[in-house]
Order: sequence, then structure tokens, then C-alpha cells
Amino acid sequence: MFWEYLPVFVMLLVAVLVAVGLFVLTSSVGPKKMTPEKAIPYEGGSETTGAEGLRLSVKFFLTAILFVVFDIEAVFLYPWAGLFSRLGWIGLVEMLVFLSVLGVTLAYAWKKGAFEWEK
Amino acid sequence: MNAWLLVAPLGVLAFAGLGIMLIDAFSPGRAELAGVTTTALLMAGLISVVALLSGVDPGELPRSLRAFIAVDHAGLYFDVVICAGAALSALLAGGYLKEHHLERGEYYVLLIFSALGAMILARAVDLITLFIGLETMSLGVYCMIAYRRTSIRATEGALKYFLLGSFAAAILLFGTALIYGATGHTDLAGIGNVLAAGGADARLVLLALALIVVGLAFKVSAVPFHMWTPDAYEGAPTPTTTFMAVAVKTAGFAIMLRMLITAFGDPLSASPETGWPPLIAGIAILSMIYGNVAGLAQTSVKRMLAYSSIAHAGYILVAVAVSYAAREQAIASVLYYLLAYTVSNVLAFGSLILLGSRGKEAVTYEDLAGAGRRHPLAALPLVIGVLSLMGFPPTAGFFAKYYVLTTALSIGGGMVWVAIILVLSSALGAYYYLKVIVFLFMKEPQAGAPKAVPMRSGYVAFALVLAGYFVIKMGVTPEPYLRMAVDAAQSFIS
Repeated sequence: MFWEYLPVFVMLLVAVLVAVGLFVLTSSVGPKKMTPEKAIPYEGGSETTGAEGLRLSVKFFLTAILFVVFDIEAVFLYPWAGLFSRLGWIGLVEMLVFLSVLGVTLAYAWKKGAFEWEK
Repeated sequence: MNAWLLVAPLGVLAFAGLGIMLIDAFSPGRAELAGVTTTALLMAGLISVVALLSGVDPGELPRSLRAFIAVDHAGLYFDVVICAGAALSALLAGGYLKEHHLERGEYYVLLIFSALGAMILARAVDLITLFIGLETMSLGVYCMIAYRRTSIRATEGALKYFLLGSFAAAILLFGTALIYGATGHTDLAGIGNVLAAGGADARLVLLALALIVVGLAFKVSAVPFHMWTPDAYEGAPTPTTTFMAVAVKTAGFAIMLRMLITAFGDPLSASPETGWPPLIAGIAILSMIYGNVAGLAQTSVKRMLAYSSIAHAGYILVAVAVSYAAREQAIASVLYYLLAYTVSNVLAFGSLILLGSRGKEAVTYEDLAGAGRRHPLAALPLVIGVLSLMGFPPTAGFFAKYYVLTTALSIGGGMVWVAIILVLSSALGAYYYLKVIVFLFMKEPQAGAPKAVPMRSGYVAFALVLAGYFVIKMGVTPEPYLRMAVDAAQSFIS
């Protein structure tokens, strides 16, 4: 039982050693030159503006949630497509029910304005 | 074809939920969504009643369905209780949301899908179905608590419930993972068979059992997993509070019974020495004492009802604890209690809604002062409601407590002491229930204090008439309801 999983543990050990080793190596061997540019907080390459406690628009969360909803659809569709012929008519009907439920949610989200970025 | 009647309530609700979403999106504000929601829920409940009475053979349903969803009479009974609770909550919402300018379509969508989740949870016979039902129910309820977006208390209550609820769900999930690891089954009957044959590591099973009990005790707000209850109950809009107290609790007890009896019904787990009965009895004792003692100190009636709901969870848990021995009687008394508790609670919360209009809400005892003399008709349901919660004859609450008590006494032994604690703590609770009546009729509001003014709403009045009818009916002639509960309990065991 234990020996079967030994390679997994070896793999984990190597992964941890490589990660920690690289950190230790770069911080101990690498040169350190502090310049004013390096000391400022990094924000996507552009200069930092405004307060750090930034309020994000709820639009981003909405987009993320909608992405998750329709991503799950793909998660279900792939295995279903792979087994399409074995699942037969019942599989088809079940998938159609699932898709029509998602269709209703899509219509709901659309009509409620969830896809309008500028309001 | 007839056998599909057994799962039709779930289908009706799913269909209605989607329909309400479309109505809300395409003709916002025009349709009476409260009416549509109530109709759909009542229809689902009626189908369950018809299915209960007609006695169709569940064997005609495909095995793949029966492996995940219970199609027994107990499942239908829970459908009836949950649909009744949700329909009455929807009626209360129809009055409350309009009065307080909160009327938006989402509420009814969340309510109906939450009720669907509760029904799936109550019918779960597989760990997968259990979790899907639990999350469907809970996610809707979290949103319904935070529904009043501008209120800090609502947000606080919702956040507390959400965070603690996530932890409880994780603990439950850990327990189910362990029991799957120990037995290799996800279906409750399969787990039960392996455990009965003694084919699992006893320590692992005990740990899984404890974790699962913690997760479920959280949902029914039993001590010491009750911390969220007062804040969530008080912060939420009152129709949501009603829904949480009736539908969520019913589903929680349903799945607790299924878990303990079907999965953990083996001689080792269900023994009063080494299994869950002492654990459940301990939680019951703590809930009864804590709920009633803490209820005494409250100034808000809504918060008092939250503590009362903790205490009632304790009373029901007494019957759950003795279900290892007096199975049929104990389960039947749990089922009867849940129905009685549903109608009594709707009556208490509903009349609290009725007694306050926008800006002049009735939340504290002081707000109720003299309201009974000024508006006797609006105060009457509150009186009946608290009397039933107190267990005063001839109301539904009296027989509910009576059956739990006789069941506990019939076991004898240590259970007699639990029964004594039940009687003593509910005598303590009588104080804060009677305080409501005292304030309604024997006090006058302080000079200059704002007076609560009753609102006018056909929806709320209809809900109160319905709930009041059943509270009295179940208190005068409890036999038909008890027979229904016994019948459902029998299907549970077989």
C-alpha cells in the first residue's frame, strides 16, 4: 500500500526541494542592487494611483460568476459528448433539460442587464 | 406512469422557479409573483398529499432515480410540511416586501429554489443528493437574509450564517468522505448494510458520525452550533426568518433522521452506550436549557423567537435521540412536531409582520405594548401562535410536546431525566411567551414612544387564517395528522 505511493512522495519531495532551493539560491547568490524604481509598489507596469483600499465594481464579480456558470456547462458537455452513443436517448433528453435550464438563466441574466458593461 | 406522482412535487417547483425567473425578467413588476409562488408551492404540496393518499407503487420508477431520491411516504410527508411552510412564507413575503418597499422578483425565485433544495435534502438517500440539496437550500437562504441590502444588521446576519454555514458544510463533507472511505458506499442503505455487518473500522465510523451530527446540528440551530441563529433571525426580513425556522429546520431534521436511522442504524452506532443516542440527547439538553434561559433576557420579540427556535430544536432532538429504541413512535412524534411547529411559527412571525407597517414596525416587547387593546383582531393570531409555541392546549403545540414527552418516558432509564428537563425548561419558556400577551393587553406604551400600526395586506391575512386554522385543528383533533405521521414513520423504517 505504502510502497505503491512512494513515487508520489518522491515527486512531492523533489517539487518542494526545487522550489525552496531556487528561492534560497537566488536570494543568496544573486546580486542585489536597490534602485528607486524597484522600491515602488508594482501595479501592472503602470504608475500607482489612488488609495490602496481600492473598491472594485460589482461588475467584475458578476462577470466571474457568469463565467463559472457557463464554464460548468462545458465541463458537463465534454464527457457527455464522449459517451453520446452509449447514453442514448435518455442522455440526450437529460442534456436538453440541462441546457434549457441554462437557457432560462441566460435569458434572465441578459434581460436583467448582467451583460451590459456600461450602464 | 402514476408513479411519477411521487417525484412530481420536485418537478413542479423546479418548473415554477424557472417560470418565475422568466416572468420577472420579461415583465418586471406587473405580475403578482407572491401569488404565483404560493400557488406553485401549494400545488406541489397538494400533489404530495394526493400521492400520500393514493398509495402508488414506487417500484415503477427507474432504479437510477430511486437510488438518489427517496420516494417513500416520509419523503412525501416532508414535502407537505416544507411546501406548507414555504407557501405561507411566500404569502407573508407578499405583504411584507410590498409594505417595506422591498418588492423585487428575485425573492420569490430564491424562495422557491430554496424550498426545492429543502425537499431534495429531506428526500436524500445518497450522500451526493444530500450535499446538492443542502447547498441549493442554503445558498438561497443566505441571499434571502441579506435581501435588505442597506441594512447593516441583515448583512451581518447573512455573513455570519454564510461563513459558519460554509464551515459546517465542510465538516459535514469531511464526515461523509470518512464514511465513504470506511464503507465504500455513498448510498445510505449501503452504508447501513456494511455497518450492520461490522465491516468497517469502528473508530473511523464514530468520527464520521460525530462530524455529520455537527454539520446537521448546525442547520437545525442546536446548541452548541447555534451562534448564528439570533443574529441571522433578527437581521433577516421576517418572511425569511419564517422560512428558516420552518422549512430549513424541517429539512435538517428529515436528513438527520435518515442519516441516523438508515445509515447509522446498526447495533453499535445506535446503542445508548457507544453510539449517537447520548450525543443527540446531550445536544438536546443543552439546546432546551440554553434556548429557554437566553430567551428570558431578550427585549426583541423577533430575537426571543430565535431563542425559542433553538429550544424547540432541543425538544425535537429529544424524540430523535430516543428513535434508537421506540423507532416508529419517536419518528412519528418528530414528524408531527415539525408540522405543528411550522404552522405555529408562521402564526407568530406572521402576526408580528401584520402588527407593524412601514416605519412603524413591531419588533420589541415595548412596540407591542397595548397593541392588543387597540387592534384586537391583529393581535389575536399572535396570542394563538405563542400559546401554541408554549404548548398550551388546545393548540397544535400541546400535542406535539405531549407526544415527544410520552415517547421519551416510554423508553425509561436516563431518558426520564431528559423528559424532566424538557418539562422544566418549557415551563421556564412560558415566561417569555406569556410576556408577549402581557405586553399586548396589560401594558400601555410609554408617553411619546412610537406606536406600531398594523398593516393591511390580504396575503398576510390569508396566511394567518390558514395557519391559525391548522393550529387549532391540530390541537382539537390531532388524530388524522398523527395517523399521517405514523404512516410516514413506518415507511421510514421498512
